[in-house]
Amino acid sequence: MTAQSPNDASGLAVRLPAPLVAMLRRRDSNVFFLLFVLVAAIVFFTIQSPYFFSDRNAFNIGRAVSITGIAAAFATLLMISGGLDLSIGAIMNASGLAAAVIMVDPENSIIFAFAVSLGISAFIGFSNGIIVTKIGVNPIIATIGMQFVVRGMTLATRSGSALVRNRTFLEIGQGELAIGTMEIPVPVILMLTTMLLCYLALRFTQFGKYIYAIGDNASACRRAGINVAGMRIALYTLSGLGAGFAGIVLAGLTGAGIPYAAGSELSVISAVILGGVSLSGGVGVIQGTLLGVLLVGVLKNGMTLLNINANWQMVVEGSVLMIAVSLDQLKQRI
Amino acid sequence: MEARPALETKDLSRYFKGVVALNDVSVAISPGEVVGLVGDNGAGKSTLVKILSGDLEPSSGQVLIEGEEVHFRHPRDAKKRQIETIYQDLALCENLDIMENVFLGHESYRNPLLRLLDRRRMYRETSQLLEELAIRVPSTRELVMNLSGGQRQATALARVAKAGARLIILDEPTAALGVNETRNLLDLVLRFKAQGKTIIIISHEMRDVFEVTDRIIVLKRGELIADKLTAATDPDEIVRYIIRGRD
Ligand SMILES: Nc1ncnc2c1ncn2[C@@H]1O[C@H](COP(=O)(O)OP(=O)(O)O)[C@@H](O)[C@H]1O
Ligand SMILES: [Mg+2]
Repeated sequence: MTAQSPNDASGLAVRLPAPLVAMLRRRDSNVFFLLFVLVAAIVFFTIQSPYFFSDRNAFNIGRAVSITGIAAAFATLLMISGGLDLSIGAIMNASGLAAAVIMVDPENSIIFAFAVSLGISAFIGFSNGIIVTKIGVNPIIATIGMQFVVRGMTLATRSGSALVRNRTFLEIGQGELAIGTMEIPVPVILMLTTMLLCYLALRFTQFGKYIYAIGDNASACRRAGINVAGMRIALYTLSGLGAGFAGIVLAGLTGAGIPYAAGSELSVISAVILGGVSLSGGVGVIQGTLLGVLLVGVLKNGMTLLNINANWQMVVEGSVLMIAVSLDQLKQRI
Repeated sequence: MEARPALETKDLSRYFKGVVALNDVSVAISPGEVVGLVGDNGAGKSTLVKILSGDLEPSSGQVLIEGEEVHFRHPRDAKKRQIETIYQDLALCENLDIMENVFLGHESYRNPLLRLLDRRRMYRETSQLLEELAIRVPSTRELVMNLSGGQRQATALARVAKAGARLIILDEPTAALGVNETRNLLDLVLRFKAQGKTIIIISHEMRDVFEVTDRIIVLKRGELIADKLTAATDPDEIVRYIIRGRD
C-alpha cells in the first residue's frame, strides 16, 4: 500500500466523468443542491405542520434570518477572499447599542445614530484588516482578540440595554412595506437589498473578480499588480460595516440595544459555509449564502412548530453544518 | 556611442535568513537583446528574476532601467516600467477562466467608475490574441484548473503578450512542455525578439538557450560565473561553468 494524502483523488471510490467534475468545480456548484434540500425541508414541514406553509410564517422566517443574512452577505465576500471575521457578533452588539443609546435622546437624528454606529463598525473592521494584512496575524486569532476587545469595551460603556422609542428607528426592524398585495417586513427587504448589492459586485465588477482571485492565489494577484493588502483591508472593513448594519436592524427589531448577546458570528459563518463558501476561499456565491441562511431559518422554524426543544435544534444546526463542511472536504478531492 | 542598457544591476544581493541567494551580481542588458540565464537548481536565478519583477526587494545593490535607478516595492512598480514576467509557477488563478487570467490586473471596463467589467470585449480580445499567438485552447471560458500544463503555460504567455511589455522575463518556461509546445514557445520568443523586445529566459535546456539567445549569463550559488556572447561559446563550455564554476 502506498501512503495516501488526504487530498489524493484516488481516495474517491468512483471515477467521476469529466463534465460532472467540471460542474462540481464551479464556484456555484452548491446552489442547486441547496435549493433541492431547502425545497425538501419545506415540503417536509408543510406535511408535518398545518401552520408552516403560509405568508405569515414565511415572513416570520424572513424576519428571523434577516439579521444573520445582512451580516452574512458581507461575510461571504470576505470568506471567498480567504478571510474570516469572528468579531461580527461583538460588532453587532456594539453598533446596535451605540445607535440605541443615541436614539434615547429625542434630540438626536437617526442619520446621526447611523453615522456613529456604522463609523464605529467600519473602524473596527478596518482595524481587523490592518492587523491581519500589515502585521500578518492569523485572521482567527486577530478577530477573536477583537471580539473580546469590542465586547469588553461595549460592556464597560454600558452594562444594561437601552430602550428605543423613536418610531422611525423601530420601523427599521419591525415595519412592513406594502409591495403589491403583500406586506413585506422591512428587515427582509434590507437583507435582500444587501444581498443583491453583494451579488452584483461579485458578478459584474473588478472588485468581485479580485475577491475570487485573491481567495485562490493571493501571490499571483500581487504579481499581477493587484493591491492585495488594500483589497483585504477593504473586505474586513466591509465585514465590520455589514455587522454594524445588522446590529442596527437588530436594535430596531428588539426595540433596544443590548450589550451582551453572544455567538452571532457562528450563525453567520455557518450560513456562509453551508451556502458553499469554502474556508480555504476562492469559491461560493451570494445565492448560496441566501439559501444557507434560509435553510437554517426554515429548519429552526419548522422544528419549533413541531415542538422540538431548543437544545435539539442546536444539535440539528450543528450537524447540518458538519455535513456541509464534510461535503466540501470531499469536493476538494476531485 | 553604445546605447544605454535597457536593464542593469549593480552588486545586487539578496539574503534569506542565513542563505545567500544572490551575491553582488552585476549585469547589463542592451535593448532588444535576448539573454539566457542558466545555472543549477538553487543558483539564484528565480531570486534575480523576482527582484527584477518587483516581487522581492534586494538586500543591497541597485537596479537601473535605461540608466535610471529604480526601487521596486511591488510587482506593480515593475509593470509600470513595462517589465512583464512569467514566473516559474506561472502565477495563475485556478478558479478563474483563461480570459480572466489573461486580463488579471489589466481589465477593460464597461463603466470605469464602477469598474464594471466588459467581459464580452475581453473574451473577444483573448480569442484574437490566442489566434495571433497560434495558441490553441478548448475555450477561453475554460477554468485554469481544468487545463493541461501546456495550456496553462499558454495562458501565462498570452497574459504577457497582452500587457505589451518592453522587457519580458521567462522563468523556466519550457520545463513542463512537450516537444511541440516547446517549439511554439521558442518561436514566440523569436517573434518577441523580432518586435524589438528585450528578453531574459531561464532554461536548463542548452539547445533551446543556444537557439534563441544572444548572450548567456551563468549563476552558481548566487554568484555571477560567466557572461558570454552566445556566438562566442558552446554548450560544453556553459555546462562546465554551471557544474564547476570558474576554473
Ligand atoms: N523565500 C525564500 N526563503 C528562503 N530561502 C529562499 C527563498 N527563495 C529562495 N531561497 C533560497 O535561495 C537560493 C536560490 O533560490 P532560487 O533563486 O529559487 O534558485 P533557482 O531559481 O536558480 O533554482 C536557494 O538556496 C533557495 O533555497
Ligand atoms: Mg528557479
